[in-house]
Amino acid sequence: MPNDLRRILLEAVVILALGALIGLSFNVSLVMRVLAGRAEAPAIRQAAEAPAYPAPAMLEEVRELAAKGGAVLVDARIPELFADGHIAGARSLPLAEVEERLPPFRSEVPPDALIVTYCGGYGCPDSFDLAVLLLQEGYRDVRVFEGGFPEWRDAGFPVKEGPR
Amino acid sequence: MSRWMRILYHLCRLSLGGLFVWAGLVKSADVTAFAGSVAAYGLLPYAGNYLVAATLPYVEVLAGALLLANRKVRPASLLLGGMTLLFMIVLASAWWRGLDIDCGCFRPDAENPTPPAVALLRDAGLLALAAVTFRLRGGTVPRPRE
Repeated sequence: MPNDLRRILLEAVVILALGALIGLSFNVSLVMRVLAGRAEAPAIRQAAEAPAYPAPAMLEEVRELAAKGGAVLVDARIPELFADGHIAGARSLPLAEVEERLPPFRSEVPPDALIVTYCGGYGCPDSFDLAVLLLQEGYRDVRVFEGGFPEWRDAGFPVKEGPR
Repeated sequence: MSRWMRILYHLCRLSLGGLFVWAGLVKSADVTAFAGSVAAYGLLPYAGNYLVAATLPYVEVLAGALLLANRKVRPASLLLGGMTLLFMIVLASAWWRGLDIDCGCFRPDAENPTPPAVALLRDAGLLALAAVTFRLRGGTVPRPRE
């Protein structure tokens, strides 16, 4: 009897391996792209609809998130302004260049990351527009820091210069 | 072995096999979408989601087809039962963590998502089917030559 069970187990493992092999050979190109890190992060299927509008984030909240490293800060302004000075730790994703810069962004930032966008402060629409776009792209928690760079800088919080 | 037991055996074998063949075919038609469903559980690293998505549906089809063909029934039902048990653990973890995701059992369906609790119940039924198939095949039903 134990012999019998061992044979059944072995055969089950063979079926498993055979099925996996068939699957891998059917999806060779996809698997190769994934292993080379070139496939896009899978679009996570969420039962609930992602919100259509981003939530606002206040200065204190953004500072706390930035200090804990719990959020990805995204600068929606043009690269020149970003180079002149940006929130320390922020990454540049200019709304004007979003088409070419979104694919690398997607491969580095997972869809479940908390994202805070900002731009040139109140009256600058780019951070809001970028946030809406990121929500449409499948990011689920995107907030807009409406005070933007001016409010951050004037509060004396850490600022950095330089590209990227 | 009574006639009714034999009918029960074939009923369990065919429904279990058919269900898994269908589930596997539906998912293998869009591996990338299935990778998204796997990723929603948040249990695997990036490449792991794709590897599971690229292999699991085909294992389901193969094992299900063996059941339909009445060949290697005990190994196939053991494998499908084991996989169902694994699915149940994963679903329970999603339920426990309060994830609001589709189970990804069949076609990805954003309109009509199957919540983890429902999928868990369904999987319990599948597990019972696999157990009955495995058990009844064990000597109670005359074996065709394999």
